[in-house]
Amino acid sequence: MDGHLVEILFGAFFALLILGAPITVALGVSSLAAMLYLGDNPIKMVQMAWSSVGSFPLMALPSFILAGALMEAAGLSRRLIAVAESLAGPFTGGLSAATVMACLFFGAISGSGPATTAAVGMLMIPAMVRQGYGAGYAASVTAAAGGLGIIIPPSIPMVIYGISAMGMQPPPEAIEAHGAFQSVSISKLFIAGFLPGVVMAGGLLTMNYIRCRMRGFHGSDQPLSMRTVASACYHGFWALLAPVVILGGIYSGFFTPTEAAIVAIFYTLFVGAVIYRELNLRQVIKSLDTTTWLAGRVLLVLFTATIFGRILVENDIPGVIAGGILSLTTNIYLIWAMIIGLLLIIGMFMETLAAIMILVPVMLPVAYMMGIDPIHFGIVMICTLSVGFQTPPLGENLFIASGISGISIERISVRAIPFALASVTAIFIIACFPGIALWLPRMMGY
Amino acid sequence: MRPLWSFLDKFESHVCRVLLAVFVTLLFVQIVSRQIFGFSITWIEELSVILFVWFAYFGASYAARIAAHNRVGFHLNAMSREKARIVEAVGDAFWIAFNVVFIWQSIQFIGRLKPFVKAQTLGWEMRHVYLVLPIAFTLMTLRILQVNYLKLVRGIDPADPDKVSVEAALELAEDEQRAYDKGHR
Repeated sequence: MDGHLVEILFGAFFALLILGAPITVALGVSSLAAMLYLGDNPIKMVQMAWSSVGSFPLMALPSFILAGALMEAAGLSRRLIAVAESLAGPFTGGLSAATVMACLFFGAISGSGPATTAAVGMLMIPAMVRQGYGAGYAASVTAAAGGLGIIIPPSIPMVIYGISAMGMQPPPEAIEAHGAFQSVSISKLFIAGFLPGVVMAGGLLTMNYIRCRMRGFHGSDQPLSMRTVASACYHGFWALLAPVVILGGIYSGFFTPTEAAIVAIFYTLFVGAVIYRELNLRQVIKSLDTTTWLAGRVLLVLFTATIFGRILVENDIPGVIAGGILSLTTNIYLIWAMIIGLLLIIGMFMETLAAIMILVPVMLPVAYMMGIDPIHFGIVMICTLSVGFQTPPLGENLFIASGISGISIERISVRAIPFALASVTAIFIIACFPGIALWLPRMMGY
Repeated sequence: MRPLWSFLDKFESHVCRVLLAVFVTLLFVQIVSRQIFGFSITWIEELSVILFVWFAYFGASYAARIAAHNRVGFHLNAMSREKARIVEAVGDAFWIAFNVVFIWQSIQFIGRLKPFVKAQTLGWEMRHVYLVLPIAFTLMTLRILQVNYLKLVRGIDPADPDKVSVEAALELAEDEQRAYDKGHR
């Protein structure tokens, strides 16, 4: 490795971040500085600007963002949540458990954490307050459960992880030591994310039960009625069908994830305009507009992160990091603890998608060297970063839950700490038992 | 003059919405023709990827106009706005420098592409397809200057991108709730 490359690359990167330059600029300028130092011709960037973005699987990103925005505008999400609400019943902490379930359902049509929190919170936070739950508790459980939106497929962070990881071949030393690794695909990640999502939800449900028991939040007086459940399912039939179409299409191999997203868009347009009649042209244009800038800013980071990652890999910097970690310890559980701890801290300060794009070239080769499966690693990474949605200073779910409930961000984040602990426990379980993530894709022949 | 300025102010947004609608529709046509009629239209995939890349870089320019590009800004929030604006402007100066280098390199790159380098199924000359890179990055640079002019000279801060997305999400959820209530009461 070249003398001062690491200092120049990372020094410029962190200096620019502290200057308040956008993340994409910090990546681009530090890479450019490294290229000039190494004597590379920066004209390489132009080809990368095209090849990093111009891929068919990546088109799933704007398509899923658009599908999620349309589903909300079309009234599909509202009906899906109503189904979960009807399941609350007279149990201890029933309604807050229904909130977690609503996020779980909603995660199956949406790929974004904040969108899940907003849609579920608008309905469930006032409902919980009416039933005598503290407003702070109601907001914190929603903020915590909103993170499930990115773990339950379809998931936008999984699309980004898949794209970033596809370009990274396992280093030959790693193959020598641990045998061949399976290839990464977005479909595989979508299947693998399902059970870990259920485990994460299980952690939240357990913590919710304990806390509601201690605080004495009882369920409603009415018993669980099959009639309300059936009625909610009847009204929500077309909404319930959406995850079946999306996930069924991907799992059966009928559609690629990109195609599933496109089908979801037109399914939503049809249901929203013809069956529910809640979708109008103004809302469609608004959805298109939101998708535009959200996708634009992510894809610009993808371009600069690709240059950054290429420089790292070409100069074997991840190999050096892996060597450093292996010289400290070879205990896989300790290594997992270090990875999860680092991801939790980064998730607090950095936007999730940007964090994935920056960390994959740094950490995935390290994971390969430890013999960690790339799909398993991706799922753990996404689960861990999802906790960042509920931790300040950059917890998007907190902002939304605070906006809906009127409770300050500080109070919600304190109330959310036990849920964060439950999630971290669930993450360690997922990390220690690779089967949770890897069993389902293997069973389905991927 | 007013309508023209407001059109120009949202120029990239208009371009992007059209590009997005077109490539999404093209892909849907492809799925329908393949799954139902059993034949695939070969040029659709290539065209939609090209439109997607155009969409990405014009979208990045639009995101620059509304100052949506993520910064790690918790320490900036602790400063007074006057101070933070200047610090951000210094950061943006690096952005402009990067863009200038990139625009220069992309013009060089396009100049070297021979006319026979063509898109495989469409037959378009790649040097024309690539022209979007210098154009979009030039627009982006103008947008950065525009935002900094608004911030430093006029003292107008663009809305915080995180708050914008939160507000957008809340607004959408409210709209949706209203529409639902209207239909059920």
